[in-house]
Amino acid sequence: MRRALEHVEIPDEHDARERGWRVAQAAFGERQPVRHRDRRRLVPAIAIVVAGAVVAAAISSPGRALLRSIRETVGVRGARSALFSLPASGALLVHSDGGVWVVQADGSKRRLGAYRSASWSPNGLYVAATRRSALYALTPGGEERWSLARPSVAFPSWTGSRTDSRIAYSDKSGLHVVAGDGTGDRFLAPAEYGPFAWRTGSLRELAYVSASEVRLQDVQTGRVIWRANRGPAEPVLAISWSGDGKRLLVLAAHALRVYDEHGRLVRRNDPAYGTTYADAAFVPGTHRPAVIRSHGAQSDVFLFPGGPVLFHGKGGLQQLTWSPDGSWLLVTWPSADQWVLLQVARGGATKRIQAIANISAQFRSQSFPRIEGWCCAQP
Amino acid sequence: MRGAQAGSTSDLEALFRAYWPRSFRAAYLVVHDSAAAEDIAQEAFLAAIRALDRFDRRRPFGPWLHRIVVNRAIDWSRARTLRAETELDTTAASTDQSSGFDDATLASLRALPPEHRAVIVLRHLLEYTPGEIADLLDLPRGTVNSRLRRGLDSLAETLE
Repeated sequence: MRRALEHVEIPDEHDARERGWRVAQAAFGERQPVRHRDRRRLVPAIAIVVAGAVVAAAISSPGRALLRSIRETVGVRGARSALFSLPASGALLVHSDGGVWVVQADGSKRRLGAYRSASWSPNGLYVAATRRSALYALTPGGEERWSLARPSVAFPSWTGSRTDSRIAYSDKSGLHVVAGDGTGDRFLAPAEYGPFAWRTGSLRELAYVSASEVRLQDVQTGRVIWRANRGPAEPVLAISWSGDGKRLLVLAAHALRVYDEHGRLVRRNDPAYGTTYADAAFVPGTHRPAVIRSHGAQSDVFLFPGGPVLFHGKGGLQQLTWSPDGSWLLVTWPSADQWVLLQVARGGATKRIQAIANISAQFRSQSFPRIEGWCCAQP
Repeated sequence: MRGAQAGSTSDLEALFRAYWPRSFRAAYLVVHDSAAAEDIAQEAFLAAIRALDRFDRRRPFGPWLHRIVVNRAIDWSRARTLRAETELDTTAASTDQSSGFDDATLASLRALPPEHRAVIVLRHLLEYTPGEIADLLDLPRGTVNSRLRRGLDSLAETLE
């Protein structure tokens, strides 16, 4: 029996071993040495002391004045009090405590229902939305077209054309792909949790991140087209393709990676100590990403690599989303309860800034709403 | 292990080269999918690297690693079995079959439930005793013995 089991031929065995070694070697290189433990132990103590000092300052009269002044300087002055219109065509998909909403270019809003996440179909004709135990396809008017019962559904991502499309999503067991009409649900990979990124214009090539690597997989055959080291094993904040499908961007709090179409790493950046990334997306028509970076109480949006800085603010900027025509960049600013819209020139300079305040209240939300997509103009 | 804990890449490589082949093979024999087996073995090694500083050198490394590998392989197989849906990788599976599944033993193994496959792999590939398997899988020893017996009976029937 032992001999039989030892002589079973395993496809790709040698390459798998070498890939495994590269991944293990990279993880070994990134591991924190033991001697840093003492310093890590100090961090909570320092945090407690700092928090105590802040509380003490806040309850004193000068402290209250200082906090008030900080609060007042967060946010764009003269922001509109309500969302009257979007500066570019297309419709926004927004998730809040109150559910998922569609916001049209004229500022009108429609609540689709109490869904947990959502994604536009490629032409904006439908929305894929999730609840805890099901995936739904909806019209932008909120009408349900089909649903699929699955446990812990998340990260729907839709690709294709008007005639053929597919949705990738994760559930408790891993990554799945289902046709746009809800048929042919297929299990693709175990224990993979989104987000996922379909290669631009492709019905078959899906990029995602596993515990140790980035993969591009052909969902038709199951073949892994390429795999690459992903850097630190942190949650992925953003994964997206450039408009021409030749660059893949993968962002985590402490790692920015850009791969070419063959999985070769073409750009990387691990920010300096104390700096973290929050979100990133390729500037439409280019291979340069716009990135949100935070350091202490300051955040900025800049074009990687080397700038320029498009926007700078106090507190944490959270998300960025390009308008469908690529002329406006929507930046969300939870600590100011604002959306900031930047008109960006072709050369990468900010031409105009608009801001909308009271975002949470407008979406009936206790927490700050999340942008799920800004899609093409409605037909 | 001592050298790897001290930060030696060459010692880590020696550890990897010593334990990867059987870990990968064990995972493959349970899940019968080379990509999934690779993921499982990789994740087990990453877990080992993350826990390297805390690892007690008085304990053997192999059982610790194999416990992760086999339990993850069982979880993966269960998840796949439970899904009442079209399996995506029909093409990939047929590729696997052409290179190795024509072996009668392997085909018979594939017909067993994943929990039984795991016990057989632990016993006959990794050569753990039933008592050690019981510890690795958190099972009563009697359950291990009965799974071994039923698994081997089933293999014998198929092979006949």
